[in-house]
Amino acid sequence: MAHVSDFLTPTDLQRISSLQVLARVVVEGFTTGLHRSPHKGYSVEFKQHRQYVAGDEIRHIDWRVFGRSDRYYIREYEEETNLRSTIILDRSGSMNYSGTKSGGVTKYDYATRLAACLSYMMVHQADGVGLVTFDDKIRRYIPPRSKVSHLRLIIDELEKGKPGGETDLGDVFHDLVPKLHRRGLLIIISDCFGEVANFLKAMAHFRHARHEIVVFQIWDRDELEFPFRGWTQFDCLEQDGVKHLLDPAMLRQAYLENLAKFRDELVKGCRKHHIDLVPFCTDEPYSKALAAYMTRRLGRA
Amino acid sequence: MNFLNAAMLAGVAALSIPLIIHLFHKSRFKIVKWGAMHLLAAVIRTNQKRIKIEQWILLAIRCAIPAILALMMAKPVWQGAKQMLGDQPTSTAVLLDNSYSMEAERAGTKNFTIARDETERLIGGLKPNSEAYVFLMGEGRGLLDQSTRDLSSVTQALGKVGAGYGMARVPAALDFVAGTLDKMTGNARQVVLLTDFQRVSFPASDEKLLGQALERLKKLKFPPNVTLWDVGVESKENVAVESLDFSKLMVGVGQKVQIRANIRNYGDTARPDLRVTLKVDGFEKPGTAGSQVSLAARSSGQVLFTHVFDKPGSHVVEIETEADPVKADNLFLASIPVRDKLTVLLVDGAPGATPDDLKGETGFAQIALSPFFSGKVEQSDLIKASVVPAEGANAKNIAESNVVVLANVAKLNDEQIKALDLFVKQGGGLLVFTGDRTDAAWWNGPFGKLAPLQIGGLGGDPNAKPGTAAAKVAAQRFGHPSLELFNDPRNGTLADAEVKAWHKFKAPERTGGPDDPTVLARLDSGDPFLVEKTYGEGRVIACSTTLDSDWNSLPARPSYLPLVQRLCVYLASNVYPPRNLQVGEQLVSFLPSATAGKKAILTLPDTSTVEVPIVKKGERGVVEYPQTQRPGLYKLQVAGGDLVHYVVNADRAESDLNKMTDAEIKALAKTHGLQVVHSEAEFKALDKVQRYGREIWKPFLLILLVLLFGELILQQMFARGRRKV
Repeated sequence: MAHVSDFLTPTDLQRISSLQVLARVVVEGFTTGLHRSPHKGYSVEFKQHRQYVAGDEIRHIDWRVFGRSDRYYIREYEEETNLRSTIILDRSGSMNYSGTKSGGVTKYDYATRLAACLSYMMVHQADGVGLVTFDDKIRRYIPPRSKVSHLRLIIDELEKGKPGGETDLGDVFHDLVPKLHRRGLLIIISDCFGEVANFLKAMAHFRHARHEIVVFQIWDRDELEFPFRGWTQFDCLEQDGVKHLLDPAMLRQAYLENLAKFRDELVKGCRKHHIDLVPFCTDEPYSKALAAYMTRRLGRA
Repeated sequence: MNFLNAAMLAGVAALSIPLIIHLFHKSRFKIVKWGAMHLLAAVIRTNQKRIKIEQWILLAIRCAIPAILALMMAKPVWQGAKQMLGDQPTSTAVLLDNSYSMEAERAGTKNFTIARDETERLIGGLKPNSEAYVFLMGEGRGLLDQSTRDLSSVTQALGKVGAGYGMARVPAALDFVAGTLDKMTGNARQVVLLTDFQRVSFPASDEKLLGQALERLKKLKFPPNVTLWDVGVESKENVAVESLDFSKLMVGVGQKVQIRANIRNYGDTARPDLRVTLKVDGFEKPGTAGSQVSLAARSSGQVLFTHVFDKPGSHVVEIETEADPVKADNLFLASIPVRDKLTVLLVDGAPGATPDDLKGETGFAQIALSPFFSGKVEQSDLIKASVVPAEGANAKNIAESNVVVLANVAKLNDEQIKALDLFVKQGGGLLVFTGDRTDAAWWNGPFGKLAPLQIGGLGGDPNAKPGTAAAKVAAQRFGHPSLELFNDPRNGTLADAEVKAWHKFKAPERTGGPDDPTVLARLDSGDPFLVEKTYGEGRVIACSTTLDSDWNSLPARPSYLPLVQRLCVYLASNVYPPRNLQVGEQLVSFLPSATAGKKAILTLPDTSTVEVPIVKKGERGVVEYPQTQRPGLYKLQVAGGDLVHYVVNADRAESDLNKMTDAEIKALAKTHGLQVVHSEAEFKALDKVQRYGREIWKPFLLILLVLLFGELILQQMFARGRRKV
């Protein structure tokens, strides 16, 4: 079923200045028509068993208890929230790129809105949500909560933050691991630029801490297609003074091949660590992100 | 290289446009704040050097495109290693074919008229101060004596030139022109040969000569461009009187002469009832309306006329067929010297008691030579024979004779031999019979120069009885004019006469030259019977046996009279230099020595006259005139002397108007590296190329297209090609 946000491009939604309003438009548009689940217990922390009643899903029956007692029990989890999610948002310089086809929407804009939508949806589903922003180091850490007031805090932080500086995903993520005491779902929103090996090493670290990871990789259409013509000077967004003057048409093919190689390495690495890598382009609707999240959440159930 | 539109060369400066655009674009670059620098930097690092090279290549091609376009529009011309000729004056030699085949016409216009008009235009169109020379191939002479810069004089002279001359000899003409070109001053030279490309003018046998002549041209300091200009419109229809045959070697007054005209139809159309007329001294023979002959396509026929000359002296016989465009061969002329008397001096080596004693060595011969005189008959003999003993022969009576007959002469003194030597050298005829008195040592010694062959010994037996003779004259087919009469048995035969004895002539030493002795007839023993030798301008015939009946029975045979007469007439006919000449053959006349130093007046075929000096040569005054290129009648008149007719006929090979095919002409040109044109427009185009060089904008266009597509392809290739990453 189509929902309102499907007909709104990121450019249209950019006109909505309040992230909270934007999140509500998007999320409610997305969730309209979905059946609210009557069940609790999608968290990763076990709380108790309860007797099976008609209407419970059979797949939630604890068959080991049934084996012992010959009765049907359903597993329930301890947390008051169903899921602890932490959105890790990249605010490095490279996220400040706004391409020719994105209508002025930078990758960071797109990422913050995506984060807001996710947070809104999580909170309204009684899932806990936290936020980590970083560039070359962790800039802000908001631990996961499921209260609606907590959402305000996250959205304020998203609105406040500005991208800049270099990225070093590997180091930042290594620093982040000890801060995330309890295992949960990590949603990394980044362009993942940098050394693939470092990035995967950090992911492995997360996985070692038994975190589930979804990477929303944000691309601009220009970065995927390299459509530039005529002499162009490319100034690096992360490092001042790094610039290259060239005729991009001469390099386009080589660039695209290099890009494909980079993406391929990333996809393979993520698959290896059981990480969901979801690429986004800034001209795509946010609902794709929400669908990916929902798929992931249901997949965990 | 030269440029016809040099102003466009300024456009080469346009090559700076791509450079400027390149620099402009490079300076007006966009700035993009780029995030994925780690992806781009790696690509730049590995491809930077090659990209730079590729950019330079593309820039070079882009700069070349407007430059090549400008070059192309400037109309470049390639001259090879030639000098920049441009509008410089040239030295031009035109070889104009005015042989009589050029009279062939189509639609009323003669090939020669076309060729002459084209030549006039060609000369008229030469650059100012150019030098020109026109060689008339049929006549074998230059239009003017030498090359000239006064081109109007050349065109004026051309207006007076006509065709109708002898065969055009292309190699000889080229050879001649090579000499003239060498003296010309311009270093831009051309030879233009205007001809009808008649097949006979370019025979395969001339191929080598043609090559040599062209090679000579190429070796000149400034080798000319040689152009063949085909002005021939093929018209095969032509009838020619090819030759005339006379029944007598020498014609006497009152004698009946048969004149046989050989006529050939070269055309593909049959000519039934072709009218052929005979004129003697310019008048049609009274009482005859001419003869008619039917000729099939490409065949020949004969027409026979008879005539009796009633006056001695020089006469002209003309045989003419109905007119066709090629007039020169419709008429065949012959100059006939009609003799009143032919003087034969019989030198008797064993004279009888009286001059008409048949026992004398020359008795039978005298009767045979002047039968009417001897028989006291009221008819005139052609030959007047006089007999002198061996010692009676002297320089005077020898020089006054037409033929001298030595009969069984033992020997002559040195003065007599000297007189005979001069006599024969100047064209006199000497007939020598051997006999029992013949001194072999004298024959082989002092007389050896005149004797055709040396005597080696005696054959047969002089005393053999009749019927036991050792030899006869071998029956054979004779090729010699004096003997061919006996090929017809009705005229008698030499083979029925017995030869008892003879002198054995030694086998001739062959040198391969024209003066080698020839055996005219042999005995059946294999020894020579009659031998002939050319000596100077005269001839000597020697017989191995006697003139009388001492050693043979010939005098008693019917064949004796015609044999002796024809031998004398044959030898006498050579006394006069030939009056029937081929084109280009020298006209010679012998006159009394008293006329030497005076001038003879020669009337040419076109009725103009020239004065020719009479030069003393030996005992004679001699007139020589070599410029006989124009076929027709030449009349030589010496003050106080008779009018003598000379006839010049062109080689009838020229009558075959068959033309070379275009493919053959092209092959000829290709073989010798010549150019062929068919019209003024083609010549002008060729001249333009030769003068200014060949326009080469087409290759430039090709280069331009290659560059345009190349730029496109390379750009795509460089942009899309596989890169190292």
